[in-house]
Amino acid sequence: MTRVQLVNVTRRFGQTVAVDRFSADIADGEFITLLGPSGCGKTTTLRMVAGLVEPSAGTIVFDDQVMNGVPTNRRNIGLAFQSHALFPHLSVARNVAFGLEVKGRPKSDIRQRVDEMLAMVELSDYAERSPAQLSGGQQQRVALARMLATDPRVLLFDEPLSALDRNLRDTLKYSILDLQRRTKKTAIYVTHDQSEAFAISDRIFVMNEGHIEQAGSQLDIYLRPQSEFVANFVGDNNPVHGRVTGFVRQDDGSRLVEVTSGAVRLLAIDTGGLKQGEAAVAFVRPETIEVLERVEQSNNPYVLEGTVEQVVFEGPTVRLMVDVDGTPLLVEVGGLTRLSLIGADRKRIRIWPREVSAVRDRTTVAA
Amino acid sequence: MAVSTTSMAVERQQERRQLFRPGLVFDALAHAYIWFWLAIFALPFLATLFYSLQQVGGGGWSLDAYQYVLGSFRDNLILSFETTVATIVINLLIAIPAAYAIVRFPIPGKSFLLSVLNMSLYTPAAVMGVSLVIAYAFLFHIPQTLVGLVAAYVVGTFPLMLVPIIVALRDLPGVFEEAARTLGASRMQSFFRIELPLLGPGISAGILLTFVIIFNEFLVTLFIAGPATTTAALRVYNLTRTAGFQPSTAALASTMQIVSFLVVLIFFQVFGSRYLKGTYLI
Repeated sequence: MTRVQLVNVTRRFGQTVAVDRFSADIADGEFITLLGPSGCGKTTTLRMVAGLVEPSAGTIVFDDQVMNGVPTNRRNIGLAFQSHALFPHLSVARNVAFGLEVKGRPKSDIRQRVDEMLAMVELSDYAERSPAQLSGGQQQRVALARMLATDPRVLLFDEPLSALDRNLRDTLKYSILDLQRRTKKTAIYVTHDQSEAFAISDRIFVMNEGHIEQAGSQLDIYLRPQSEFVANFVGDNNPVHGRVTGFVRQDDGSRLVEVTSGAVRLLAIDTGGLKQGEAAVAFVRPETIEVLERVEQSNNPYVLEGTVEQVVFEGPTVRLMVDVDGTPLLVEVGGLTRLSLIGADRKRIRIWPREVSAVRDRTTVAA
Repeated sequence: MAVSTTSMAVERQQERRQLFRPGLVFDALAHAYIWFWLAIFALPFLATLFYSLQQVGGGGWSLDAYQYVLGSFRDNLILSFETTVATIVINLLIAIPAAYAIVRFPIPGKSFLLSVLNMSLYTPAAVMGVSLVIAYAFLFHIPQTLVGLVAAYVVGTFPLMLVPIIVALRDLPGVFEEAARTLGASRMQSFFRIELPLLGPGISAGILLTFVIIFNEFLVTLFIAGPATTTAALRVYNLTRTAGFQPSTAALASTMQIVSFLVVLIFFQVFGSRYLKGTYLI
């Protein structure tokens, strides 16, 4: 039941700025993810919320209490570590009980709460085991039970699944989401894995070099990337550098922008108020390029014609490298259409890029 | 059944072949070499042990000499134990917080500080003895007392306690303390409930080193001790000097040797040698 606000939170380590004016308003019960490459400042941000690192500037607020200067043990948070950090000399039950013991709760309450927590993560039979006797997934579940036992205000996750193997990661990420939904606690989750971020978050903050590149829903991040970094970091993308050559008003009143680069003409969602003639980068997702099977001529000016340079069959999809008058485009085709494309090397095909987005081309402006 | 019999026969054949492989001679020589040096090392101790088991006046074996160990040597042994335990306790009280501060906090000139703290390890015992006599007699007026003796031992062996605890604390991931803190534990709670138990092996190593050194300490004791503070090691020296080497003295010497040996043996069985790295035992 806690709203978490970060206002211009900054952390410097010597000369380097690890986190640069990070601001976020996280609603009570919201699940947000800090997504970014290693060294982008996401973990430092999380550690500042936990109180393990003090901000150099800015304010961290839980509800209406300023948290700056409040020691970690008085913040009433739960933190899941990448290495689970179970105390090796204590049994599973004693690990879960630890937070309650240091808070001086009565013994009978502690026992009851520990039983309840272990039942929740389905490890009741393992209470007396030592952490070393558990598998990696079980250890992380004990860590979750331990962190929830004290009924913390905010749940923090520091890449809790990255040390586990793939199948376990998939099941555990849904367990984490389920626990958060059931307890209705505000959660901040740090990861470099976009599939994790997309699966569990209400909102994603994409971070790069200490600052927020973009914050928004999965759809915003995926379909309307506001910077080249976001477009390239999240999923595959074909960046096409060109110029704004026109605008198209749609039926619902929204405006699409036309970006042209040589023979490639694209109709894109404008994410940053582009102007006529301006240098722009359009991002074309390989999986949203439609391969037109019928050869018939159409008057759609955004259908492109190119030569298939390479075909790679990947099982569920086929990846084509298509050359459109010198512009290479990666195309990913699923469904039954993909089978008809096997052996299509050197063939001319017609493709229609859909769901394109465009931003101002900063590299060209700088040059 | 038939298959297994055949395979057993093959194995037996291979065994026989291995018995006569040329490497065997080399192996035997290598083992002999090791045992030869072990014998050379153990010989002085074994000689003392044999001597202590001689019947006085000759003619056979006897445990008679050992009655003195719990007789007239009893006070010396008790004093040795007392001073050792007192030194260990004081060393622990100093070394644990010191190690924590050195490992966990940024201190300018850390390596210089460590060199100073380790100074007594590379100071000759005789130099230590003279220095302590000067300091205690003229500065603190505590020569020839139990307090003076224990203080001298602490000065001499403090780094032996400090180094293994530093090694153990450096090996201990900081994430345990962080986890304890996020769960609501204060710095003190997380230290006493989480870090201290996990430092157990390092602390035991420090206790072992202090025990072995103090229990057998002689040279510094010679300078500092008075008539009322004659430790077992000093008694062995005094007796040998005044009465020659008697089987009873040998019994006391052997008892001390056996106690130290057993303590080290048990430690290696329980904890291994890991936390003795960086100390001068390994």
